[in-house]
Amino acid sequence: MKIRKILAVWAAKGARLVCQWMGKQGVTWAGKIALKIYPPILEELSSEVREKIFVVCGTNGKTTTNNVLCAALEAEGKRVVCNHTGSNMLNGVAAAFALAASMSGHVDADYACIEVDEASTRHIFPRCRPDYMVLTNLFRDQLDRYGEIDITMNILEEMIRTVPKMTLLVNGDDALSAYLAMDSGNPYVTFGIQEQTDTKSVQEIREGRFCKRCGERLEYRFYHYSQLGDYHCSGCGFQRPGLYFNARDVQVGEQISFWVEEKHIVANYRGFYNVYNLLAAYAAGRSAGLEMENFNEMLKSFQPENGRMEQFRVKGTGVTLNLAKNPAGFNQNIAAVMQDERPKDILVAINDNAQDGTDISWLWDVEFDRLGEESIHSITVSGIRCQDMRLRLKYVDIPSLLEADVERAIRQRVDDGVGNLYVLVNYTALYSTRNVLKRLEGEQ
Amino acid sequence: MNIVIGHLYPDLLNLYGDRGNIQCLLKRCQWRGIEAEAIAYELGDSIDFDKLDIVLLGGGSDREQMLVCEKLRQIQPAFKRYVEEGGVVIAICGGYQLLGNSYKTAQGTIEGLGLVDMETEQGEDRLIGNIILESPLFTMPVVGFENHGGRTCIHENQPLGKVLYGFGNDKTSGCEGIIYKNVIGTYLHGPLLPKNPQLADELLLRALKKKYGTDRLSPLDDAWEEEANAYIVQRFIGKKA
Repeated sequence: MKIRKILAVWAAKGARLVCQWMGKQGVTWAGKIALKIYPPILEELSSEVREKIFVVCGTNGKTTTNNVLCAALEAEGKRVVCNHTGSNMLNGVAAAFALAASMSGHVDADYACIEVDEASTRHIFPRCRPDYMVLTNLFRDQLDRYGEIDITMNILEEMIRTVPKMTLLVNGDDALSAYLAMDSGNPYVTFGIQEQTDTKSVQEIREGRFCKRCGERLEYRFYHYSQLGDYHCSGCGFQRPGLYFNARDVQVGEQISFWVEEKHIVANYRGFYNVYNLLAAYAAGRSAGLEMENFNEMLKSFQPENGRMEQFRVKGTGVTLNLAKNPAGFNQNIAAVMQDERPKDILVAINDNAQDGTDISWLWDVEFDRLGEESIHSITVSGIRCQDMRLRLKYVDIPSLLEADVERAIRQRVDDGVGNLYVLVNYTALYSTRNVLKRLEGEQ
Repeated sequence: MNIVIGHLYPDLLNLYGDRGNIQCLLKRCQWRGIEAEAIAYELGDSIDFDKLDIVLLGGGSDREQMLVCEKLRQIQPAFKRYVEEGGVVIAICGGYQLLGNSYKTAQGTIEGLGLVDMETEQGEDRLIGNIILESPLFTMPVVGFENHGGRTCIHENQPLGKVLYGFGNDKTSGCEGIIYKNVIGTYLHGPLLPKNPQLADELLLRALKKKYGTDRLSPLDDAWEEEANAYIVQRFIGKKA
C-alpha cells in the first residue's frame, strides 16, 4: 500500500507539471489522480502535519485570508501546507497535500492552511480533521448551485459538529456567522470591528435581516458593509458578541491600517474588506498560540496573487486585476476602485460557466451606480454575458463599450485608455485573464 | 402622468435581482417623460392599494416566504379587490407561487393569497436553468432564468407563454406562468424585465390605460435589450428571434 501512496504523490506532481507546461492550472486534476490511485491520501498526509490544521471557510475572502495566514505562519519560521491557488474542493485540497509531499510520500510540515468551499466541507472534514476553522462571512453566492444561504449554513453547522473540539474563529460583525458559531456548540473566538468607520454606506442587499434564533427583525446600530455591523434582536436578545480580536482605528485609503491588541497593522493594498481578511488571519495565528511578531513585516512583502488586487504593467498601463463574483464582493471591489481618485478605465468581464453560477441575475444586486463618477474614463463590458452587463449599466444611465473577447478588450483599453486600468472578473474569467495579462506584460 | 409601483417586502423577497425589475420599470417611464416612483413596503406596513398602479411581488427563500405568508393574509382582502378591479401585478418566482390557493410541501401546506385559481406542489428536484418562452402577447421571445422546486398547476387559466427551452410551470405541461386579468405571474427572473422590454412595456401600458386611458407608449431604442434577448435565444435554441 505504501507504494500506491508514493505513486499517487508522484502522479500528482507529474500531472501538475504537464498542466503547467500546457499553460493550465492543473491542481484539481492532480488531486483527482492522486485520490484515484490512493483514496486515503488526504487522511494520511494530513495526519502527518505536526501541529495544527486550519481551514478557512466563508463566502468571500477565503483565498486572501488563507494565503495571509500561511505567509504569517511561515514568517514565524514554520513549515506550512497551503492550497494557495484557491482550489478548494476535495480534489484541490488533496492536491495541496500531495504536491507538498516529498518524493518518499511524506509531508514535512508544522501547519496546514486549507481554504475549503462551504459545500465541500462534507467531503473534506471526514478526511482531514481541522483544529481551527476561520469563518469569514456568509453572503449570497451562486444561488443556482448552492440554493439558499440557509442550506449552506445547515451544511456548515452539521460539519462543524462532527469536529466538536475544533475552535471557530468567527466574524462577530456578521450575524449569520456569529449565530452559526454560537449554535454549533463548538468553542469559538470572535474578531471584528467594534466601532463605526467612515466608509460610505450604500443601499445594499443585506442577508439575514431577521434573527436566525427567533425570526424577529434585527436592529442595527450601524453597518460596515452589506449585513456586517453592530446588530441586536429585540425579540430574544441575540446580539453581536464581544469581539475578542477587535480592529481599532481602522484607516482605509491608498493602504489599510488598524490596531489589534498592541500591534499596528499596515498593509499596502486597498479595500475595507481586507481589514477583515488580515484580522482573521492574525486571530487564527494568535489563537493557535503564536505571537505573530512578524505579521507586519510579512505584510510589507506580501504580494496578493491569483487576481486579488494583483498588479500588472502592460505597455505603460498599470493594470489591477480583481476577482468579483457576488454582490457583496463586487460592492466592496467597487468601493476599493473608487478609493483610487485618479482617472481610470474599467473592464468588467462576466462569465456564466458552471463554476461561476449559470444564473447571472446577481448583477442587478450590485451597486453599479457608483461607476458613474467622473474619474471613470471608460467602462468596457466583456465575457460570455457582456450583453447582460451592458444592460445592467444602461439602466443606471452609464454607457459602456462592448467587446466579448477579454484579450481584445484589454488591448483596446491599453491602447486608448488613461494608463490606469481596473479589470474586474468573475471566477472562470479570472485564470484566463490572468494568463492574458502575464503574456501582455512580457510582450513589451 | 405618474405611475406608482408598490414593491412588496423587498427586505424579505429580494432573491435574484428583483430590484432590476423595479429599476427597469422606473427607467422606462423616465426615458419617456412619465413620472414614476417605487414604494418599498416592509412587513407590517399598511398598504393603500388605491395609490398603486403596479404591484411587484418578488421571490424569497423558503424560510423568508413563510414569514411573509402570515402577513400577506392580513392584506389579502384589499389585494384581492385591487386585482379584481384590474390592478396590474407582476409576481415572480416565490411571489408567483403566493398568488395561488396553496403551496404544498413535504412539511405541510402553506395557504396562499388565493388571488388566482392555481396551486403549487413541491417537486422532487429543483428546476434550474435558462428558459425561453413564446408568448402570444409579444413578438419577441421571453427569456430568463428559472430556479424553483414547486410545480404549479394553473388549471384553465391562460399561461404567460409556451416553453421553447427550459422547464416552465411543472416540467411537463409545456406552459409557463399565468395571465389573469392584469396579473402576470412567472418563474422567470434574471431579472425578467430588462431583457424583455415588451413585457415591461405591457405592464406600463396596462397601468397607464387603467389610470389615463393611454393606448400606446412612445417607442424607445431597445437595440441593446434586443441583442441581449437574441443572444440567449441564439445560444439555447439556435435561431434568430
